[in-house]
Amino acid sequence: MSVERHELLQEDVGAYVLGALDDSELRRFEAHLEECPVCADEAERLRPAAQALPRSVTPVAPPAALKSSLLATVDAEARERAGLSPRRPRPLARVADRLRTAGSSLGNLRPGMALAGACVVLLAGVATGAAGLYAIDNATESGQPRAVSRTIIAKVDKTRVPLGSGSLALPADHENGAVLRVHGLRPLEEGSVYQVWVMRGRETISQSLFTVGEDGDGAAAVTDDLQGADAVKVTREPAGGAKAPSENSILTVPL
Amino acid sequence: MRLVQEGNPRAFELLYDRHGGASFSLAYRMVGNRVTAEDVAQEAFLSIWRSKARYQPDRGSVRTWVIGIVHHRAIDALRRNLVHERRRSSAEGIEERHEAPERERTDVEAARREDARHVRDALAGLPEEQTRVIELAYFGGFSHSQIAEMLQMPIGTVKGRMRLGLEKLRKGLAEKVG
Repeated sequence: MSVERHELLQEDVGAYVLGALDDSELRRFEAHLEECPVCADEAERLRPAAQALPRSVTPVAPPAALKSSLLATVDAEARERAGLSPRRPRPLARVADRLRTAGSSLGNLRPGMALAGACVVLLAGVATGAAGLYAIDNATESGQPRAVSRTIIAKVDKTRVPLGSGSLALPADHENGAVLRVHGLRPLEEGSVYQVWVMRGRETISQSLFTVGEDGDGAAAVTDDLQGADAVKVTREPAGGAKAPSENSILTVPL
Repeated sequence: MRLVQEGNPRAFELLYDRHGGASFSLAYRMVGNRVTAEDVAQEAFLSIWRSKARYQPDRGSVRTWVIGIVHHRAIDALRRNLVHERRRSSAEGIEERHEAPERERTDVEAARREDARHVRDALAGLPEEQTRVIELAYFGGFSHSQIAEMLQMPIGTVKGRMRLGLEKLRKGLAEKVG
């Protein structure tokens, strides 16, 4: 080890224990630590000071839903490892029972959203009768159920929603009045909702808000015509909804 | 920890009960909103459960290890959010995000609260410019070069303040213990 190299690198030790070195610098400094007992000693001496920093944080109680969500995932994976069958999915009617619009303040959303409530009421009625084979959209004046033409499975960000799944049911005769069903999402804290968006080119159009029950099941209306749309997405937003998504989507239905 | 990594759900629950609060608190302090903090804590604990992270007793306590994992995950989340321009700490420093404190339920929690006060006192004993670079690095997840740019000062100055600040903090903590 050269003295010059030591003198060049010793100043990095604080940034190193704080995790503030860039990748290339980190590799260079770790290689230096292998050959420089002086810097290695200093890093070990300063490390407890950096490790004390999180102890200064004001305690904030985690939401109960975090623990229940984690334990549900862990139990499911433990059962899978043990070769036990996964828990049976809940009947679809339970999903409809949980169907609800979560936003009372819709002022910052597009006018189309106001229709979501009507769709929700109609869907709940259908799900208890025809067990989810049909969906009704808000434009159906006769009240007759409309056949579902196809169901598209959603892609889920498994890092953030490990047990999540979802699907979009599109009605047969035209492309609006679709219904998004989700499973295994975490119940959100008061003050947060799930928000549904339609992506069309560069445009992001808010559709509806929803929450999920303790079992993680929920459903939401997609009010826009989906012909020509690219995807339906879900994000988590403050109660009342956001004007634009504030995070990457946790669930995406490619169209 | 061995039981957790052997896949025992009850051992995992115990681990969460012991360290979930501190993990969520750190995540919340770093990312500044509850939803992302939940994501961070969830990712960290699931990585522990799925044995992607291995505890080595000779490297420190379980709590330090868990908190280290949470810290890394929170930095990842901050970087994702930087792209999204969701929330970025200003050059003025990382402000503590205040929220109703967790209710003290046990002597252990009371002792931890007291410990937190000691660490805050030791931090308060540092010159402001040293505290700022340390907090931007640790809680903000910024690299020294980003901090230098934000604070418009030479990189060498930032590195020097980090090093001096940590040394002073170490001494301050040792005095509290002593």
